Amino acid sequence: MSGKKGIQMKSQDRRWTIPLSILLCIGIMYVCTVTGIASIPFQDANRILLHEFLHLDINMEGITDGSITIIRNVRLPRVVLGFLAGASLAVCGCGFQGIFKNPMADPFVLGVSSGAALGASIGIVLHLDRRLLGMNGTTLLAFAGAFLTIALVYNISKVGKKVPVATLLLSGIAVSQTLSAAMSIIMIMNKQSMDQIMFWTMGSLNGKGWEQILLVLPYSLLGILLLSTTCRELDIMLTGEETAVQLGVNVELLKKKVLFASTVITAAVISVTGIIGFVGLVVPHVVRMIAGPKHRILMPLSLVFGGTFLIICDTVARSMAVWEIPVGIITSLCGGPFFIYLLSRMKKGGGLS
Amino acid sequence: MNETILGFHHVAAAYGEREILKDVTLSIREGGFVGLIGPNGTGKSTLIKCVSGLLPLKHGNITICGRENSTLKSRERAQMVAVVPQSYHVGYDFTVEDIVMMGRNPYLGFRKKEGPKDHAIVDEAMEMTNTAIFRDRCYNELSGGERQRVILARAIAQTPRIILLDEPTSALDVHHQIEVMELITKLNQEEHMTVLAVLHDINMASRFCQRMVMLQDGVVSVDGTPQEVIDRKNMESLYNMKLMIRESPLFHKPEIIPIRVMEEEKISVSCHIHVICGATEAVRLIERLDAKGYTLTAGVLNKQSEDWHICQELGIQCIEIEPFTPVTAEKQAENLNLMKDADIILVAGVPFGEGNIMNLQGLENTAGQLYIHRNILRNDHTNGKLAERISSLEKTKKITYIEDNNTFLEILEHSLKP
Repeated sequence: MSGKKGIQMKSQDRRWTIPLSILLCIGIMYVCTVTGIASIPFQDANRILLHEFLHLDINMEGITDGSITIIRNVRLPRVVLGFLAGASLAVCGCGFQGIFKNPMADPFVLGVSSGAALGASIGIVLHLDRRLLGMNGTTLLAFAGAFLTIALVYNISKVGKKVPVATLLLSGIAVSQTLSAAMSIIMIMNKQSMDQIMFWTMGSLNGKGWEQILLVLPYSLLGILLLSTTCRELDIMLTGEETAVQLGVNVELLKKKVLFASTVITAAVISVTGIIGFVGLVVPHVVRMIAGPKHRILMPLSLVFGGTFLIICDTVARSMAVWEIPVGIITSLCGGPFFIYLLSRMKKGGGLS
Repeated sequence: MNETILGFHHVAAAYGEREILKDVTLSIREGGFVGLIGPNGTGKSTLIKCVSGLLPLKHGNITICGRENSTLKSRERAQMVAVVPQSYHVGYDFTVEDIVMMGRNPYLGFRKKEGPKDHAIVDEAMEMTNTAIFRDRCYNELSGGERQRVILARAIAQTPRIILLDEPTSALDVHHQIEVMELITKLNQEEHMTVLAVLHDINMASRFCQRMVMLQDGVVSVDGTPQEVIDRKNMESLYNMKLMIRESPLFHKPEIIPIRVMEEEKISVSCHIHVICGATEAVRLIERLDAKGYTLTAGVLNKQSEDWHICQELGIQCIEIEPFTPVTAEKQAENLNLMKDADIILVAGVPFGEGNIMNLQGLENTAGQLYIHRNILRNDHTNGKLAERISSLEKTKKITYIEDNNTFLEILEHSLKP
């Protein structure tokens, strides 16, 4: 607590935080778009961007169609989807850490990811490539799996009209473990699909285009909009559930809102990208250390930082080696040690935030 | 002004199977300052939880400002009732102002952001509680007393009509205890908030509350002014221990003095002790002798002296005179008469002066063994008369000198052993 005084900003500095971080984010998006394995000269990349997206009348001489396609249909959608996924997961993380008052909570704590993974593996095993509602079978099943899991966990934990947070967490863990086991069985029984399932569970933005972005966007927007209405109440929730009731918060409704919104967002994102861990856990923490615990600042900043973080991780993932590394591995690889660093700092500071 | 603002009608509540509140009926008038007392586990905090909607009732109902509590939305309830818990920890780095602003939540919605009016109310609440000076500091960095003031400010920002306090001072040192209680009194008197406070400290409750309600085994056992509620019988049955009540000369409110929980070992034979005292020195000794089962008498005592008070409290027969009047020969005759059958006569370590030297007159002719506390010789204000009196006594009667009261008790116990 007191150990972090050095990092936390004064309130008068906070006004500039959001505009500055948006600028930073746009800068990083730009850098990540113009870098990559395919060697497109910096100048050319800039010209393509200006021509394609700002519709400026620029001389496109000497630029191959291949380069244009790479920028337009490969790199840019990846950057945008990366931002969307990272931002969405980070905002969900804020919401979950808020209602659970637990710094270890992330969007997957109730088993959304296991449900989605199980759905996805069924889809992969059954080769469901037919498209429905604009999604292929795997995506659709992952989405359904995620939703059904939360519905199950929610109903298991329900006591009368109330959903105690502790029960919710425990039944989340139990259901999640069971579903993971089921997925393992499917993997063992279908060895030929094992690689594909494994890759799915590690999360990747590879081969995703504008189509997937349009698929995720409405759910993410809807969910984030809903979450953004809960800022003040989430603040109060952090000071204790009983206090929240005494200060006029409809705690049960708040839990439902956050659970629903987060499930919609997370399900949509991971059914397209696979499971990308650590963004939803680490980003809200880092932002809280910089900007304090108020959700009105925490949420938008987490959105920007989450998106930026995932774009960077994805750029590393696609530029580092001959083989593409799933971005989920990169996020965990960066996020894990960073989180350990945070924990050791907090231990010195005398507590968790 | 004097209507019932908070009513409990046959309220029963339980945690699972464990029944805590059995049948509580109580009505609190607007503007009242009511202290809720009772030993641990009798349901005082549970009652507060029921009002704030955290625990559903098994039976009965609660009305707040004339409205049935169970039909209120938590938002509506929070506009009328604010709760101040005992020491309160927040695991996150909110500033003091953030915490106080949370008190405005019942009046805000996601479309209605806090406006100038809310800021004005929050500022005023912080001024009142003297917390404005650290408005930008982190709540967690504050001391216990400062935190409690911040939580009070949050309650004030709710602009409630009723304020419920659950042991608001239990984690605080005495300075901050009084500070918080004075603040609550101010809210009650100046802001006309009705106060219901769970208090552990009976003396604090007696001093600040207009009315006290004693909760025992899930029901209201006594209800009245501090003078009515705090008497020895009530308190001894409530706390199951030996204690004393006296009126605080400073506040003119009854005050409780806990004495002991474990019983003294009783003597097996009867033994009559007469104590010659009259100031403050014999209080503890008289209480202990009484608890051990000795038959006691005392004299001659000035009324209103501490020794006299303890005799009154314990029902010990004594010879008394008006305050600041000297012991007369007649009174001493009565005194001698009272001690004629005493097995032991003790002259406690009181100061002697012209007014009470008469107390030692005529002891030659008594039957009991005479014990004298040596302190009387150190506290002699008689210009030598005392020493004269003692030496003349010593000629005809055996005197045992004692150095302190514990020695006396040991000698007694030793001599009474078969």
